[in-house]
Amino acid sequence: MASMIVADALVRAGHDVKQSEVHGMAQRGGSVFSHIRWGSDVDSPLVPAGSAEVLAAFEWAEAIRWVEYVRDGGAVVADIRTIIPPGACTDRRSWATRYPDIDAGLFDGRHIKTRLIDASSTATELGNVRAANSVILGSVAAFLDIDDVHWEAAIASLVPRGTVEINIAAFRAGRTVSDAEVPQQVPDPDGFPGPHQIEIRHEWCKGCDICSRFCPEFCLEVDIDGKLVVVNADACTGCRLCELLCPDFAITIRPPLEPAIAAGPTDATGSST
Amino acid sequence: MSTAQLIQGNEACVKGALAAGCSFYGGYPITPSSEIAEQMVRLLPKRGGVFIQMEDEIASLASVIGASLAGSKAMTATSGPGFSLMQEHIGYATMTEVPCVIVNVMRGGPSTGLPTSPSQGDVMQARWGTHGDHPAIVLAPASVGEVFDLTVKAFNLSERFRTPVILLYDEIIGHTRESVVLPDSVDITNRTHPDVAPEDFWPKEAPPAGVPPMPGFGDGYRFHVTGLTHDHRGFPTNDGDIAEALITRLHQKIETNLDEISEVETYMLDDAEIAIFAYGIVGRSAREAVIRAREAGIKAGLIRPLTIWPFPTAEVAAAAQQVDTMIVAEMNLGQLIGEVERAAAGATEIVSYLRVDGEPITPTVLLDLMMPGTGASS
Amino acid sequence: MTDVKTYLREWAMPHVLCPGCAHGIVLRSFLESVDQLQLDRNKVAMVAGIGCSSRLVGYVDFCTLHGTHGRAPAFATGLKLARPELNVVVVTGDGDGLAIGGNHLIHAARRNIDMTVLMLNNSIYGMTGGQAAPTTPEGSVASTTPQGNTEPNFDACKLLIGAGASHVVRVLAANPLEMTKVMADAMTHPGFSFIEIISDCPEYFGRYNKVGGGAEMLSWMAVRDEGITIPLANKSFVKHVPSSAPPSGMKTGVLHREVRPVYAGVRGEQ
Repeated sequence: MASMIVADALVRAGHDVKQSEVHGMAQRGGSVFSHIRWGSDVDSPLVPAGSAEVLAAFEWAEAIRWVEYVRDGGAVVADIRTIIPPGACTDRRSWATRYPDIDAGLFDGRHIKTRLIDASSTATELGNVRAANSVILGSVAAFLDIDDVHWEAAIASLVPRGTVEINIAAFRAGRTVSDAEVPQQVPDPDGFPGPHQIEIRHEWCKGCDICSRFCPEFCLEVDIDGKLVVVNADACTGCRLCELLCPDFAITIRPPLEPAIAAGPTDATGSST
Repeated sequence: MSTAQLIQGNEACVKGALAAGCSFYGGYPITPSSEIAEQMVRLLPKRGGVFIQMEDEIASLASVIGASLAGSKAMTATSGPGFSLMQEHIGYATMTEVPCVIVNVMRGGPSTGLPTSPSQGDVMQARWGTHGDHPAIVLAPASVGEVFDLTVKAFNLSERFRTPVILLYDEIIGHTRESVVLPDSVDITNRTHPDVAPEDFWPKEAPPAGVPPMPGFGDGYRFHVTGLTHDHRGFPTNDGDIAEALITRLHQKIETNLDEISEVETYMLDDAEIAIFAYGIVGRSAREAVIRAREAGIKAGLIRPLTIWPFPTAEVAAAAQQVDTMIVAEMNLGQLIGEVERAAAGATEIVSYLRVDGEPITPTVLLDLMMPGTGASS
Repeated sequence: MTDVKTYLREWAMPHVLCPGCAHGIVLRSFLESVDQLQLDRNKVAMVAGIGCSSRLVGYVDFCTLHGTHGRAPAFATGLKLARPELNVVVVTGDGDGLAIGGNHLIHAARRNIDMTVLMLNNSIYGMTGGQAAPTTPEGSVASTTPQGNTEPNFDACKLLIGAGASHVVRVLAANPLEMTKVMADAMTHPGFSFIEIISDCPEYFGRYNKVGGGAEMLSWMAVRDEGITIPLANKSFVKHVPSSAPPSGMKTGVLHREVRPVYAGVRGEQ
């Protein structure tokens, strides 16, 4: 949708445009991307590496994946939201993931203008989180010489009916949005003793929320970053519902006196620190 | 030494399979291959083997692959329409490197076609029927005795190279009874078992053109088998380098061992000026035509591949260098002739005789081609 | 009791399935049943087709065969006949087992081959992106039924009883202890056992039909189940769930059981 809006705006601005799109299983670590080329006469839709004017990354890892395509003096607009595919999910708790940290200075060594934005928050403030992509388009527009008339006409013609207003507002907000503050990623302190020991294998946990929703004693919670935390270890009665219902084999419940197994990157809430 | 017996091609196939150590048959009835199943169900259980009639040809080859993974030598037999259904699992067996033998007794096609008539219409399907880049070993016997020999060879090659091997002959050979003397025993090749302990074993660990050892399910080695592109652990991967290495190895384990696989018969070719290229049942007519042509003073010869895939490019190229004319006779509209032309590379004139009317190619018409204007065919 | 994680190929974990997908719960319950029965893991063969559920076999330390789409019962038949001492377990999905593989499934049932089939029914094609399956309830949204499914759907257990399966059970993925029990029962049953496991697909079915994520879908199942014979650790575990969830109209538990001759192919006297 977003790439179609870009392409449509470029067409409206009088360019010859070619767009290519690849869909993959992004949630399984695949890639979904679109190249757009424009000019007076475009033959191929694929952008060669090192020649893109702007890279619009709708997710942080995509910015890293594609930055080699940006030309010297070009720009990267990246949403700071992170979507951790299962394959990269090694440890949400300590952030020892194979998922790359958000780092505003990562591209400093290159002549690239960087804009890290929190599109979801901006869109939420405007009233609808689903307009986040229009915020990103607005930020992209700031790096391109296309009249807003064309952008807004493209948005109006392509977004679902009833959402034109919010998407145009999001686009305008995106034009002027400033760099977002990169969230601090602080590991949780290790847990506290409890009647039963709740071991969480964070590198396998996908943060699906089943354990915490089914725990009769409300011992577990998935926090805002999607990592599973023990919030009330004292209450654990050892019913094992969380363990039995964990689709990812990420939880082990041990009796109070059984020593936690030290092998493997687990951390046991029952162990003293 | 055994005594002569009068048996059908399809019976010879069963006897060859049993001699080679076949212990599992899964199949589905189809003309003109059904006699193989009907003989198997009588003979296989007596040898300690298992027979099952499956619900279709897809399931037949799946059951064969399952049995082979359990350590059995396993086979199925079919004809064109069923062979079409088996393509899915020919690819699967190729990718997973599970030995198995598939017999296709060819009948007229496309589709249900001419169920009771001979044909050589599946030559390209046997090579390219399943999707993706894959090697193929396809053997084409010309007589009842050769059906026996090549069935044994098919099992041996499939065990040696961990790959499906296709035995391709036609309705005439399948149903013809000939007097043959079968050997008391045959040389048998068995798949290589791993020589490492189970905990050190990875199922697809092999050098570039190598064939990995293969334990059976239940032998104490626990491993994963998948048709997805996989690494040495047998586990799926999207890594392009690993994919290329795997597909390349699947080809090279065949292509670097042509001396073990390829078999080409030549007859009176040494001083020939005109040669007939033929395989399967047509090879017999061609041989007769060569004999008659020689009697008429024509320097004729025969080149007949028993292994049609991998195609014997070197042998055909050498023959093409030598003769002035090469006649390619096939019971299809021209399938292997393209390979002959590619191998000959313009070194000789190539003449074709092709027919798809469900009738065999006779020696007389071939003789007529070699002796134009003599009225040999009248 | 062994930690069931020792039955995993830990080097292959975490598995490929989406957050909240209950298929992993099913796998865990299955491993508990293998452990309960103390099966020799060298003699356990898991055979799968293609799809999300079929991917499970890659992660377990048995002899595992990830076959072609729908054909798992046919591979398993050859395996079992050639090596009768193997405990053969087929893992299939609703699309894999009932659409492309329907023929193989009913014939394995008819023959009463000694195997256990776990059919994980998530009512949709998950691996390919949420297309309608033969089990997608009428009216439900899938990517190929954007206006709601207008085809009737299969009752897999009725189909399998009709085909001759000698042991037919339906169980919910929300009920892990019950799953372990029925799986152990099924593996000790002589002949063809079929277990339909009502699983979930939060990523597609849940999202398209606005019925929530994994936790919501499991909760919804748990209150719909009238067949629970083992209370989940004696807890009233559904306090977060409204009691107004719709009735299922779907019976769980053992739906059919008989003992009849097991087919092992045409074979000689042993």
